[in-house]
Amino acid sequence: MSAKGALGTVKGRAELALNDEFLRKAVKFTTERLRNGKKNAASEHGNWELWRERGRAIRLHTIAHLDYYLNLFVNNARANGVHVHFADTGADAVRIAMAIAERKSAKTVVKSKSMVSEELHLNAALEKIGVEAIETDLGEYIIQLAGETPSHIVIPAIHKNRYQIADLLSEVAGEKLEADTTVLAGFVRKKLRESFLEADIGMTGCNFAIAETGSMVLFENEGNARMVTTLPKTQITLMGMERIIPSFQDLEVMATLLPRSATGQKLTMYMSAISGPRRGEDADGPDEMHIIIVDNGRSLQLGDPEFQELLNCIRCGACLNACPVYRHIGGHAYGGTYSGPIGAVLTPALNKNIAEWDDIANTSSLCGACYEACPVKIPLHDMLVYLRRRKVEKGHGNKIESAGMKGFSTLLGNAKRFRTVVKLGQIGQKLVVRDGGIRTKLGPLKGWNSYRVTPSLPKKSFRENWATLDQQIRADLKEMSPEMKQRVEDAVKRRGQGGGHHHG
Amino acid sequence: MADSHQEWLKQMEEQSKAKQTSFMAGIAQRLGHPAMTKAPEHPFRGAPDFWKEFEWDREEKIERFSANWQSVGGHVARLADMNAARDFIADKAREMGARYIVRQNEPELEALGLEAAIPDASISVWNTDPDVYWKARSAEADFGIVIADHSVAYTGSVVVKSSKDKGRSVSLLPTVMMIIIPVDQMKTRLGEVLSAFDQGGRESLPAGIHFITGPSRSSDIENDLTIGVHGPGVVYALLVG
Repeated sequence: MSAKGALGTVKGRAELALNDEFLRKAVKFTTERLRNGKKNAASEHGNWELWRERGRAIRLHTIAHLDYYLNLFVNNARANGVHVHFADTGADAVRIAMAIAERKSAKTVVKSKSMVSEELHLNAALEKIGVEAIETDLGEYIIQLAGETPSHIVIPAIHKNRYQIADLLSEVAGEKLEADTTVLAGFVRKKLRESFLEADIGMTGCNFAIAETGSMVLFENEGNARMVTTLPKTQITLMGMERIIPSFQDLEVMATLLPRSATGQKLTMYMSAISGPRRGEDADGPDEMHIIIVDNGRSLQLGDPEFQELLNCIRCGACLNACPVYRHIGGHAYGGTYSGPIGAVLTPALNKNIAEWDDIANTSSLCGACYEACPVKIPLHDMLVYLRRRKVEKGHGNKIESAGMKGFSTLLGNAKRFRTVVKLGQIGQKLVVRDGGIRTKLGPLKGWNSYRVTPSLPKKSFRENWATLDQQIRADLKEMSPEMKQRVEDAVKRRGQGGGHHHG
Repeated sequence: MADSHQEWLKQMEEQSKAKQTSFMAGIAQRLGHPAMTKAPEHPFRGAPDFWKEFEWDREEKIERFSANWQSVGGHVARLADMNAARDFIADKAREMGARYIVRQNEPELEALGLEAAIPDASISVWNTDPDVYWKARSAEADFGIVIADHSVAYTGSVVVKSSKDKGRSVSLLPTVMMIIIPVDQMKTRLGEVLSAFDQGGRESLPAGIHFITGPSRSSDIENDLTIGVHGPGVVYALLVG
């Protein structure tokens, strides 16, 4: 998927989303539910700020010493019998995964959810060499059938309703399936059972990697990640190089923060720590296990004081659910693998092509809700400002915006000039004002007026009214009526006695 | 081109080891410090200090575990001893019409004598016959019977560790999972179980450690909760003792 194209801008993609009534409602419903779930889970657990601070401290510490901990992880994973590979770029990672698939003469790969795999567009690459890649997470399976990409980190098929899903699955089943959640999920269970048992390779992502023991940890609710790491003979795990935590004790903190932040659960139904392939006499688990450690732009953030903390992200999706912009436009409008506030920063950061993704940084109201929601306290709203600044510094600023700002400052710098322009506007607008508002979609107001009505300029501006207002207020203050004066004095007295328990 | 797969793996290993050095050096350089050979001070290891003190008494642990397990759709039975556990499993097998049962190969489960208690069902014991395809055997089972290695009250979780006698499939593939939990060993916090893995160290760990906190579930279709998407949809926690 290219960043630019027919729907090249965030605005273009958002228009598609905004026109899709169902999407907007579904996104809002889901994100609100997740957000409330998180709030409840966090307050029920208690001391949430202390836990957040601890989570942040562990992530900061690990990333600051990433070379040590990653190296330790690699050595321990090798000692566990894992084949570890390094990929500087997405293309390297794809090449390694394909080489393994070819060596294994694999026909099918069953996959559990992995954002890194989405980042690499691995499925398409595997298909080219004749390997079928099957997504097994229920939501991912659905959007794979639809030929789409995930629109939410935690609930990838958030944008599809059950009728659309029933249509997609009916095609696979070869018969009409009822648009009932239990029926649909039951069909997928049966269908994918066969795939799990037949597949040559199981492929997973990695939520955390434990340096001191070389274990990789997966959080999930469906059990498909367990299937993928238990049944096929070969396991490939794609792991972002920053997924490391030092110890199992540190995992307690992540296990406290991640499920609560993602879905409001105390813990996901399954949390699995896999330490290498099956032991000699085990009758399940993979014979051969590979971990591909992926950089793909991550190391560019190291040593960058403004963006290093991006690597602290634990991929919970809480910032998406908290973001007023995401709730309106949905995930696809961001145009990258990662959506929402984290995507708005991570996508240009990983790609180091700020210019191309410039409009994404503007897809935020800078309200800071993402920071408040983040379980490891990543200052995403600050990062969005840094991105905008860098964009301007690199000369990718919006020329019209700059010209506009310059003009605005010229205007405001001189009261007389401002007065003249307002006067001109009051006269000029007579051509376009209808019912007290401006609805024309021509000229500079096109973007705004597509969704709203621009209010007309009042006959008398605030500045023109100022002299009169000023006079009135001064007069009122001087001549407060005796009753009013009495009431004010009473109120002050009551306040002094500690009363005032009801509001004004 | 390597002729055997093993040779190819060895080649890849050599490439990877060469790459490892430059990969780590690159990170160190970006972070602006020399290559690290000693473990850094980690002052924030694990949960906040106040949490490490936190503990419930036996009854509260049992109560909280049960409430958590039920809140996600699991079933709980409080049983006096292993005989009561056997009777409970046998009753459920009759009630639900279970015909295929797979269980872990553990002495405590052997001692239950399930074969005699449930004569109508065919009962297999994990990995006792090299000619059986044990993954498929578990996939067709109605019941999977397991003993928990650990349990945690605060999150309502059981922990199972893999071994040659304890298949990961047994707690994953059957339609119903019955897990026996010795309540005397129940812990309050996740950290009590996790820190033992640190203490035991890498070499003490099995290939798979699984924390299970209820039935398999998904909300991927219109946020509508579905139980039993891939793993067991019916899970019984049998609290014994």
